[in-house]
Amino acid sequence: MDVLPNEEEQMVKNLAREFLEAECPPRLARDMEKDDLGYPPELWKQLADLGWLGISLPERYGGQGLPLTYLGLITEELGRAIAPVPFHSTMVAALTIAEAGSDAQKQDLLPRVGRGELVLTWAYSEENPRLLPETVQCQAVEDGDNFILTGTKMFVDNFVAAEKCLVACRTAPASGANAGISLLLVDAGSTGVSQIPLTTLAKDKQSKVIFDGVRVPRSSLVGELHQGWPIAQGMLDRGTALLCAQMVGAARKDAEMGIDYAKNRVAFGRPIAAFQSIQHICADMILWVDGGQLLTYEALWKMDQGLPASMEVSQAKSFCNDKCEAVVRSSQVLHGGMGFMMEFDLHLWYRRVTAWSMRLGTSFEHRSRIARGLLDQPGRVRLGMNLELPA
Amino acid sequence: MDFAYTPEQEALRDNVRTFIQENVSDEVRQEIEDLGIRRRGPKVRELYAKLGERGWVGISWPREYGGQDGSRIDQYIVEEEFARAGITVGGAGSGAPAILAAGTEEQKKYFLPGLINGEISFALGFTEPQAGADLASLQCRAVRDGDEYVINGQKMFTTAAHYASHIYLMARTDPEAPKHRGISIFLIPMDTEGITVRPLWTIQNEPQAPAGTTYGDARTNEVFFEDVRVPTSCLLGEENMGWYVGAMGLNLDRVGASRYLISVQRDEDIVNYVKENDLGGMNLAEDTSVRDRIAELWIEAQVCRLMTMRSMSLVEKGGNFTYEGSAEKVFAPEHGVRTTETIAQILGPYAQLLNGSEDAVEEGVFAHNLMGSFQSGINHGSTQVMRDQIARRGLGMPRN
Repeated sequence: MDVLPNEEEQMVKNLAREFLEAECPPRLARDMEKDDLGYPPELWKQLADLGWLGISLPERYGGQGLPLTYLGLITEELGRAIAPVPFHSTMVAALTIAEAGSDAQKQDLLPRVGRGELVLTWAYSEENPRLLPETVQCQAVEDGDNFILTGTKMFVDNFVAAEKCLVACRTAPASGANAGISLLLVDAGSTGVSQIPLTTLAKDKQSKVIFDGVRVPRSSLVGELHQGWPIAQGMLDRGTALLCAQMVGAARKDAEMGIDYAKNRVAFGRPIAAFQSIQHICADMILWVDGGQLLTYEALWKMDQGLPASMEVSQAKSFCNDKCEAVVRSSQVLHGGMGFMMEFDLHLWYRRVTAWSMRLGTSFEHRSRIARGLLDQPGRVRLGMNLELPA
Repeated sequence: MDFAYTPEQEALRDNVRTFIQENVSDEVRQEIEDLGIRRRGPKVRELYAKLGERGWVGISWPREYGGQDGSRIDQYIVEEEFARAGITVGGAGSGAPAILAAGTEEQKKYFLPGLINGEISFALGFTEPQAGADLASLQCRAVRDGDEYVINGQKMFTTAAHYASHIYLMARTDPEAPKHRGISIFLIPMDTEGITVRPLWTIQNEPQAPAGTTYGDARTNEVFFEDVRVPTSCLLGEENMGWYVGAMGLNLDRVGASRYLISVQRDEDIVNYVKENDLGGMNLAEDTSVRDRIAELWIEAQVCRLMTMRSMSLVEKGGNFTYEGSAEKVFAPEHGVRTTETIAQILGPYAQLLNGSEDAVEEGVFAHNLMGSFQSGINHGSTQVMRDQIARRGLGMPRN
C-alpha cells in the first residue's frame, strides 16, 4: 500500500513536466485553436522520440510495455500543459487494438503509432451520446469480404487529424448472447465518409462524422463479430480514466495559477492571499484536485492489475466532473475580470476542463453506474472492497 | 503506486476479524453499551489484555517499549477492524506518538507498555473555557516549586476524564513569553490530589446513542485543578516547548482509522439498509434521486479512504506532512455531515427516531448521528483552522 507515485513513476512525471514546460507553452494551445489540423506535427514527433506514444503498448510491437499508470502520469502532464496533441484519442484506440486486435493488426499499426506516424481516433457516441450498448445505431452489414457502414457518429475527437477511426457499430440486434456490437477500424479517407466540424467550448477538433454506405474490409474488424461491447466498455473505461488524469493535471495547474495570482494581487493594502476567505477557497481547490487525483490513480492501478475497475473509473470521472470544474471556476473567481480576458491565458485551462467534464460520461451517468454496483446486486458493501458492475 | 494490502496484511485482517467474532461476546458489547464506547470496564480490559498478548496494540511502536517495530499500515488494519466492532484500539488520544517523540526513557518505559496492556489511557487536557480554536491562548498555570509544579486552572470538554488513568495536560509555564512559547505538557495521574472532574452532559444523553454513532458520547467533563502538585518527572519534553510537542502528537493523531471511519460508516450503513429493507414501502433502492445521492456520497467516502491511505503512505515514508493531515481532517468530517444530512432526507421522518423509539431505524443511529456528526469537524482542530493550515503550510499563503 503506497498510494503515491514511487521514485520511478515520479521521475517519469517530472521529466514529462520539464519537457512540456520547455516545448509546449500555452501559446501553442492558443494557436492550435485556429489551426486546421489542431496539432503541431513537430511536437507529435518529439513525443514519439521521447517514447511516450508507445509507453504502455506491448514491447513486441515496439512499445515499452510499462503499466497503464505510467501512461496516466504522462497524460496528466499533457493535461497540465493543455498540450494540443491527439494523444488521448490515439492512445484510446491503440490500447484497444493492443488488447483486442489480431496479430496482423497489431504488427501493422502499433509500431507506427509508437513512431508517431499514425494518428488514431475512435467513435462511440451518436445522437444519443450516452455510453450504453443500446445507443449504438450505426449499422454495418456484411457484404462478401466487406462491411457496408452507415450511420452518424457524434463528438469524434481529432477526426480531422486521424488516419483511422475505431468505430463501434451494430452488426446484429442485441440478443441474450451479446449486444450485437462490433468494432471496425475505418480509414478516415474512405469513400462515403464525411465530417462536419463542431464549434466547441474548448475550441478543440471534434466532428460529426457521417458514414454513408462506406465499404470497410473484413480485415478491419477488431475483435470478434457481434462481441464488441465488452471491448468497447474496456475502451471507454480506459479512455475515461485517462481523461480524468488529463483533467486532474489541468485543474492542478489552473489552481496553482489562481494561488500565485492571489499572492501577487494587492487589494486593501495587502496581497489578497492574506485574506482567509481567499485562503479557504484555495484550500478547497487543493482538496478537490487531490481527491480527483487519488481516485484516478486507483482506477488506473486497478485496470493495470486486471482487477474490475468500472466502479473506480466512474468514481473518478463523476468526482472530477464536479470538482475539477469547481477548481477552475474558483480560479476564475480569484482572478476577477482578468480571467475573462482573451489575452490572459487562464481561460485556456478553464474552457478545456469544463468541456472535458461533459465528455466520456456525465456525473449523472457515472453515478448511475455506481448506484447499480452498490444497489443492484446482493451482498453487503464495505469501503475498500472490490465491487464489480452487475451485468 | 500500489493500492493493495500485502497478502500478510490481508491475513492479519482475517485474524483480527476471527478474533473479534470469537472474543467480542454479547457481554462485552453490553458492557461497552453500558459504559460508553471508549470507556473500559472489566470485560473490555480483559479483551485488551488479549490484544496486548497478540501484539496488536502499538504495532508500529519500538519493540523495547512493548511494540512490534511493525508497519503503521498493519496498525491501521487492526484499528479499523476494532473500530468497526465499536472498540477503540489506539488512535485518537493515545498520547503515544508524542511520548515516543519527546518523552524521557523513563516515561517511555512506563507509559507505552501501560497503553498496550490497557492499564493506562489518557484524557486530553487541551481545551479551556476561553481557549478552543485559539488553543495557544490557554491560561491553566503550572508554576515550578522546587522539584514540583503547582497547577491551577480549568479544562473543558475533557471527554475521557471520568475513566482515563492520566491526563495529557497543556499548561502555561511562562506567562511572559509569546503565547506559543510558554506552554508545557504534563502527564498526570487523574487520582492526584486537587483534581476535580465534573460531568457535562451532551445532547446524546438520554437516550444513549447506539455503538458506532459519530460523537455518540453522552458525557464529557470539565476538570478543575486546585493547587495540584506534581513531580517534575511529569513534564513531557522540554519546559515551554509543549506547543510543539503537542503539535507532533496531534498531527499523528489525525492519521488513523477512527477519524476516517467515523466519517464514512453511515455511507456503508445507508447502502446496506436500503438494499435490505423496504422502509414503509418507499422502494428507496429504486428511487432515481436517492440512487444518485447515494452514489455521490459513496464517491466522497472513497476520497476519505484514499486521503487516509495517503497519510499512511506518507507515515511509512517518514512522515513528511505539509498539509495532507489537515486535508483529511477537512474532507472527512464535512463529508460525514453531508452524508448524515442526506440520509435524513432519504429516510424522511424515520430519521428522527432515536435509540429505543418505536420504529427506530438501525437503533436510531442516523438520528443520533444528526446530533454528533458535525462535532467531528470541530474537535482536534476545526475545519476552518485546518483550512488556514492548508493555505499557509501547504500553499505558502501569508498570515493576515
